Amino acid sequence: MRVIKASQLKKTYNPKGIAVEALKGVDLNIDKGEFTAIVGPSGSGKTTLLNIIGGLDRPSSGQIMVNNTDITSLTENKLIDFRKENIGFVFQAYNLIPVLTAKENVEFVMLLQGTSEKERNARTESLLKAVGLEDKIDKRPGELSGGQQQRVAVARALAPKPSFILADEPTANLDSQSTANLLDMMLALNKEEGVTFVFSTHDQRVIDRARRVVTLEDGLIVSDVTR
Amino acid sequence: MIVKLAWRNIWRSPIRSFVVMGSVIVGVWSLVVILSYSYGVVNGYVKNAISNQTSHIQIHHPSFGDDMDIAFTLPENSTLDSSSSMGGFSYSKRAVVSGMISTTKGARGVTIKAIEPEKEKAVTTMHTEIVEGEYLTEDKKNQLILGASLAEKLGLKVRKKAVIQFQDKEGNVIAGSFRVVGIFDSGNRLIDDAQIYIKKGDLENLIGTATTHEMAVLLSDPDELGSVQQALTAAFPDLQVESYREISPDVKLYETQIGTSSMIFITIFMLALIFGIINTMLMAILERTRELGMLMSIGMNKIRLFFMIVLETVFLACIGAPFGLFIGWLTVKYFAKNGFDLSAFADGLKQFNIESIIYPSIEPTLFFQLSLGVIITAILASIYPALRAIRLRPVEAIRKL
Ligand SMILES: Nc1ncnc2c1ncn2[C@@H]1O[C@H](COP(=O)(O)OP(=O)(O)OP(=O)(O)O)[C@@H](O)[C@H]1O
Ligand SMILES: [Mg+2]
Repeated sequence: MRVIKASQLKKTYNPKGIAVEALKGVDLNIDKGEFTAIVGPSGSGKTTLLNIIGGLDRPSSGQIMVNNTDITSLTENKLIDFRKENIGFVFQAYNLIPVLTAKENVEFVMLLQGTSEKERNARTESLLKAVGLEDKIDKRPGELSGGQQQRVAVARALAPKPSFILADEPTANLDSQSTANLLDMMLALNKEEGVTFVFSTHDQRVIDRARRVVTLEDGLIVSDVTR
Repeated sequence: MIVKLAWRNIWRSPIRSFVVMGSVIVGVWSLVVILSYSYGVVNGYVKNAISNQTSHIQIHHPSFGDDMDIAFTLPENSTLDSSSSMGGFSYSKRAVVSGMISTTKGARGVTIKAIEPEKEKAVTTMHTEIVEGEYLTEDKKNQLILGASLAEKLGLKVRKKAVIQFQDKEGNVIAGSFRVVGIFDSGNRLIDDAQIYIKKGDLENLIGTATTHEMAVLLSDPDELGSVQQALTAAFPDLQVESYREISPDVKLYETQIGTSSMIFITIFMLALIFGIINTMLMAILERTRELGMLMSIGMNKIRLFFMIVLETVFLACIGAPFGLFIGWLTVKYFAKNGFDLSAFADGLKQFNIESIIYPSIEPTLFFQLSLGVIITAILASIYPALRAIRLRPVEAIRKL
């Protein structure tokens, strides 16, 4: 099943009147269950592409279908709701709400969705277990290591049962051990639960473990390899 | 959840939050004290006016008015019975004429109040304000009491004599010689300088007929003013029944003025507070740009975000209020019991008929007004920061990573 279908995405930024073409016509399809790394040199447009796929930003032209919905046609408020129901986000940092515990962070979107307390508790518990943090349920982000925070972020992103998870450089702030652990966990979730991941990275060790690697250069896809 | 989040958010920078709370506490506290103090001043003034000037209600001939024309008397058979519909009250009858008092040292225009000394005691406090000599008694004729300041101007002392003159209704001048039996100091210049008191019987002897111009009524329960006034108006359809507010417009003015000025004080306080709060909240939002961007990214909609910021602001502003009110209440309670001694400035205050010991009075409405004021302030102050927060664009907020 196709979850993302991007065609001819272009994005031009206009800071102070100087046009910067960040994306110059990107076609990208992603199916359910994929484990895709978006790679490329700095400034090649990885973040821009992920933001557009995630409905955080709008393309200058082109079309982007997520779960068969043309998200460029949604209003700002509809888009927020669409993101809440369909897309899980893991950012490089500042993923978690510092004043809430791990459990409350994971619960948060489910609360916004109005999930029943029973279901919420069950799901939060199983997710934190899945990311290996069942003993940190009541810790606040400040009491967790960077790697643990990113795991909570993945659990949080999974909580509303999104159709895929977008992660912009999720390991950029982690040491190699935490990076390996996070990746193990993501791969396990992908394999066992069929969670779709799309993430960008610079890290060769991360790239090596991705099943599909899409390389961007200068706003264009220059290679797309599935292993 | 949003409530919990907002509540925890205000404790993220405790010092900043404490500064806002502290200013709310100090502001509310000082307002409670200042305003209770002013209520105390006004209540003291009004109480004074009622007890030695106006009483609660006065009844006159409708044409008696300010000219105090001697001809417009009340029917001699008018009496007030404590009918069942009214609560308890006392009343006295007076004849009031304008005239002149003269001695070898000079003459002054005065209002002559001819009273029934014993009945008057139940209505006014004049008998307690005698500083020299004694109050009017029944035993001797043509007794006079007057204010200390007037006595000094006329060179009068206790036992000395003065001539009192006035015109009867035909315009004939009537004069009588009166002996000073007492000198009073009411604390009110208007009374001390311009009113003298004699016995009603003595005045009637001079005129030759029974004469009553005024009935003054003092209620045991001031809250019954409205109903008693109504009942009396119904009982005397041809007479003018006025409350102290109508008789003494300055009292009414004071009473409304205090309401207005407390609103002004509260408004000024609110304005000052608003800017402090806006500033604090803008800082809080600026610091949390990324987090707010993240919240919007993961699906927190603008209404919830707006609501969260408003709640944070309201919490921030409102935590301090009860403390401020409480300390204020304690302070006022202390001074209400012990009085706020201004006797050092007593002379100056006397000109304004203000008592030298102020007993601040705690007005429950004030507490209500202040609480409401703080809440309104918080909501107003939250709007701009909340708008700023929802105007953040998630991509830009997150780019700052
Ligand atoms: N808000 C913006 N305004 C102007 N130019 C921008 C903006 N965001 C990105 N760009 C430009 O668009 C291009 C692509 O940026 P993007 O952040 O997508 O690259 P990236 O591949 O994510 O880089 P990195 O690996 O450093 O994160 C760059 O030239 C960048 O300078
Ligand atoms: Mg990037």
